[in-house]
Amino acid sequence: MSNQKKRNFQIEAFKHRVVVDPKYAERTWKIIEHAIHEIYNHNASGLSFEELYRNAYNMVLHKFGDKLYSGLVTTMSAHLKEISKSIQVAQGALFLEELNRKWNDHNKALQMIRDILMYMDRTYIPNTRKTPVHELGLNLWRDYIIHSGKIQSRLLSTLLELVHKERTGEVIDRGLMRNIIKMLMDLGSSVYQEDFEKPFLEVSAEFYKVESQKFIECCDCGDYLKKAEIRLNEEIERVAHYLDVKSEAKITNVVEKEMIANHMTRLVQMENSGLVNMLLNDKYEDLGKMYNLFKRVPNGLSMIRDVMTSHLRETGRQLVTDVESSKDPVEFVQRLLDERDKYDKIICQAFSNSKTFQNALNSSFEYFINLNSRSPEFISLFVDDKLRKGLKGVTEEDVEIILDKVMMLFRYLREKDVFEKYYKQHLAKRLLLGKTVCDDAERSLIVKLKTECGYQFTSKLEGMFTDMKTSEDTMQGFYANHPELADGPTLVVQVLTTGSWPTQPTITCNLPTEMATLCEKFRSHYLGTHTGRRLSWQTNMGTADIKATFGKGQKHELNVSTYQMCVLMLFNNSDMLSYKEIEQATEIPTSDLKRCLQSMACVKGKNVLRKEPMSKDIGTDDAFFVNDKFTSKFYKVKIGTVVAQKESEPEKLETRQRVEEDRKPQIEAAVVRIMKSRRVLDHNNVIAEVTKQLQSRFLANPTEIKKRIESLIEREFLERDSADRKVYRYLA
Amino acid sequence: MPPRASKRKSVPPNSSTVTSSDGRSVSNKAKTKGMEKIDRLFNTYANSSLGMIDPEGIEALCADLGVDYTDVRILMLAWKLKSEKQGYFTREEWQTGLKALGVDSLSKLKKALPELEKEVEKPSNYEDFYTYAFRYCLTEEKQKSVDIESICELLNLVLGVQFRPQVDSLVEYLKIQNDYKVINADQWINFLRFCKEISFPDLRNYDANQAWPLILDNFVEWMREKQS
Repeated sequence: MSNQKKRNFQIEAFKHRVVVDPKYAERTWKIIEHAIHEIYNHNASGLSFEELYRNAYNMVLHKFGDKLYSGLVTTMSAHLKEISKSIQVAQGALFLEELNRKWNDHNKALQMIRDILMYMDRTYIPNTRKTPVHELGLNLWRDYIIHSGKIQSRLLSTLLELVHKERTGEVIDRGLMRNIIKMLMDLGSSVYQEDFEKPFLEVSAEFYKVESQKFIECCDCGDYLKKAEIRLNEEIERVAHYLDVKSEAKITNVVEKEMIANHMTRLVQMENSGLVNMLLNDKYEDLGKMYNLFKRVPNGLSMIRDVMTSHLRETGRQLVTDVESSKDPVEFVQRLLDERDKYDKIICQAFSNSKTFQNALNSSFEYFINLNSRSPEFISLFVDDKLRKGLKGVTEEDVEIILDKVMMLFRYLREKDVFEKYYKQHLAKRLLLGKTVCDDAERSLIVKLKTECGYQFTSKLEGMFTDMKTSEDTMQGFYANHPELADGPTLVVQVLTTGSWPTQPTITCNLPTEMATLCEKFRSHYLGTHTGRRLSWQTNMGTADIKATFGKGQKHELNVSTYQMCVLMLFNNSDMLSYKEIEQATEIPTSDLKRCLQSMACVKGKNVLRKEPMSKDIGTDDAFFVNDKFTSKFYKVKIGTVVAQKESEPEKLETRQRVEEDRKPQIEAAVVRIMKSRRVLDHNNVIAEVTKQLQSRFLANPTEIKKRIESLIEREFLERDSADRKVYRYLA
Repeated sequence: MPPRASKRKSVPPNSSTVTSSDGRSVSNKAKTKGMEKIDRLFNTYANSSLGMIDPEGIEALCADLGVDYTDVRILMLAWKLKSEKQGYFTREEWQTGLKALGVDSLSKLKKALPELEKEVEKPSNYEDFYTYAFRYCLTEEKQKSVDIESICELLNLVLGVQFRPQVDSLVEYLKIQNDYKVINADQWINFLRFCKEISFPDLRNYDANQAWPLILDNFVEWMREKQS
C-alpha cells in the first residue's frame, strides 16, 4: 500500500439547516413544563422519560438552552412558593412533618427533573457557568422555603424547642430531627451553621449556664460531677444521633465551659466534698470523674494538681514536724510510706497514672521530708528495725518491695551524706552484735544504694561486710594454730578496717587476766601474718557470754557487754566491791561505768548485782554485791544489749558536726576540680557548678562554699582577677 | 659590741644651711653632692652595727620631723622608700626613696611630707599604698594574716580620714565578732573596695551574692540588724 495518496477522512457537520419553527421552542418548553407540574403533583407515572429527555436535548441543541433554563427556574420557583404556603399552614407538630415530607418530595422531583434535563446539565450549564440543576433545586428550596420569612424562625425555634424538651427528659422523634438536620446540611454547611448550629450553641450555653448554677447551689462536688458527666455524654449521643458530626466538638466545648470551666474553682474548694475531702477519703471514683472532666478544660488538670500539691505539702509538713511522731522513728517513717502509698494509689486509680501528677507527688515529698533534719536518721533507723526483726516471716518479694519503698524515700533526701553516716553506725552495731536477721536483705539494700549513688557511697559499707567474713576466717586460723586453747574461754574477734567503720574513740579498759592473755595471743598471731598493721582493742563494742552460779545454786548464762563482763569477773575474787574499787580495777570511763552498773543493779529482771544504798542512780560511794537472790525464768539472760537508739541531743549535734566537717573537703575538691577545668570563672557560676556537682550527696550552702573559696585563695590555689574581683583564676 | 651611739639628740641642722636646691635643677656635681648629703643623713639615724636605720632611729627621725611615730605619714614615707621590713630602712631604700622625693636634708624632707600625702592620695597610687600598708604588717616570714587589733589600728590610720564612718563601724564590728581572729590580704583589699563602692550607711547597693568576702557579708548583716 505504498505510494498511495492518503485521503483524509472527514466528517462534516450537517450542511443543511434544520428548519426551526419559531414556535418550536415554546411548544417544546410547554411539554417539559407540563412534565414538571406533573412530577410535582405526584403524577409522574404517565410521563415518558425518553420523550422528555429528547425534547430537552433538542432545545439545548437548537440553542434554546436559555429558555429551558429560565423556564425551569420559574416553574420550580412557583411550585416551591406553593409548597412554602402549605408548610406554613401546618399546625404544631405537623409543621416539621410537613416540611420533611415536602422535602422528600422535592428531592424526588428534583432527581427526575435532573435526569430529564441531563443534557442541559452537561453541556449548556458548564458553557454558561450557570448553577447545575440539582444545586439549583437545593438553592431554590433554601431561598423559598427555609429562608422564607414565615418559615425560617419557626423552623429554628421548633428545632431548638425539641432539643430542649429532650434535655428536660422528654422523648422526641429523633428520626424526624435527623432528617430535618440532614436537609439543612445538604443545603450547605453555611445554612446548617447559620440556621441551626450557631443559635443551637448559644441556646445550649444559656441552658447549661442556668443548669450548672442550679446544680452548684444544691449539689455536693461528687454529685455535680456525676451530673456534668451525664450531660456531656448526652450531648455526645445527641450529635451521634441527629446532628452533624462536626458539631460534637463545638457542643462539648459549650458544656465543658459552662459546667466545668466556669465552676472549677468552686468545685475544687467545696467544703466537705471538694478535692481535698476526696483525697482524704480515697474517693477514687469521684476523683476519676474530676480528672476526666477537668482534663477537657484549659488549666483543669493543673488546678487539680496544684490543690493536691499544696494539700500534700501541708499534710506532709505536719507529719514531719509533729513532735509526737518524732518520738518513734519507725512509726514516723511508716507514716511517710503509708502516705506515699495512698497517693500512689490515687494517682494510679483516678489520675490515669499521669506523669505530671507523679512528679507533683515526688516534689511534694522532697519538699517536706527535708523539713525535718532528722529524716535521714529516722529512715536509717527504720531500715535498722526491719533488718533486725521486722522481716521475719515476710517473703523475699515483700522484702524487696519494702526496701524499694525505702529507697524511694531515700531519693527524696537532700542530705544523703547524713543518711550514710547513720546507716554506717547502725549497720556497724547490727553486724557486731550479730543482730542481722536477714543477710540477703542487707546485701540487697547495699546493691540498691550502689545503683542509686554509685560505688563510692557503698564501698565502705561493703568493706564492713568483708571485714566480718575475713574475721571469721581469721578466727578459724587462730584456733587451728592454737589447739591448746580449745578448752579455755572462746574468743571471737572481729578485725575492723579503720577506714570502713564509723570512727570510735579507742578507749581500752582492763580485761580480766584470762581474757587479756588470750587477746595477746591473738594479737601476736594476727600481727604474725599481717605485718605492718596496728591493732587497737575496742572494748566498748564487745559482748561476752558468761556462766554464773548464784546463792541458791541457780545457774544462768549471762549475755553482757565487755565492760559488764570486766565488772562481773571482779566478783570472782571479792564479795563486795565499792564503786571506786571497780573503777580502779577496770579503768572503764565514768559515764560508761555508771550506765553499765545501773543496767546490772537497778533493772528488774536483770539485777545480777545488788547495790547499797538501793537508790536508782549510781553514786560514787555505792557498794556492790552479787545478788544471790537473783532469779529469772530463763537460763540465758540478756543484759544491756545496746540497741540503736535515736540519738540524744548532744550525740545528734556531734554527728551533725562531723557531717559538716566531712563536707568541707568535698566542697573544696569540687571547687578545685571546676576551677582546674575552667581556669577562669565568676563567683556565681562557681557556686552553681559546685552545688550541681554535690547535689547527689547534699545540698551545698552558698555561704559555706564562699568560705571554702576564701580558704583556697588564702592557700593560693585560686586568686581573684585583678580587674574584676567577682572572677576567680586557677593558680596552677 | 660598740655601745650604740645615742641618737636621741637632735642632729645639728647643718643640712638646713645648705643652699636649697630643688632636685630638678642640679648639675652633676651637685647631684653627687646631694647623694653624699643623703648618705650623711642616713648615717645620723642608722644603727652602725646593723648598717640600717632601726626602730629607734626612726623614732628619732620622727621627732626631728615633728611627726608622731604612729602618724600615717611615716607609713607613707616607708611606702615611698619601698621599705621591706617594718621598722627598718636600709641604705638603698633610703637613698632611692629620698632621691625620688627630691630631698637631701631634714628640712626638705619635712617640707616634702604634705606633697607626699597628696601623691599617695592620687587614685593611681592609693590602692598600691593601701596594699603596701597590709604587707608592711607581715613581720614574720610566711605570715599571711594580721591580727584583728592591728588591723583595726591600721584601718584607722590608713582609711580613717577619707572614710571615717565606715572605719568606725567596721572597727566596732571586727572587735565584737568571733568568726575571724585574723584578716588576710584578700579581705584587706576588699575593705577598701567596700568603702569605695558601697554607699554608706544605707548599704543600698550591697549584694551578698557577689563575691564579697564572707566577713563583709556578716558585717553588712550586722549593720542592717543594728539599723532596723
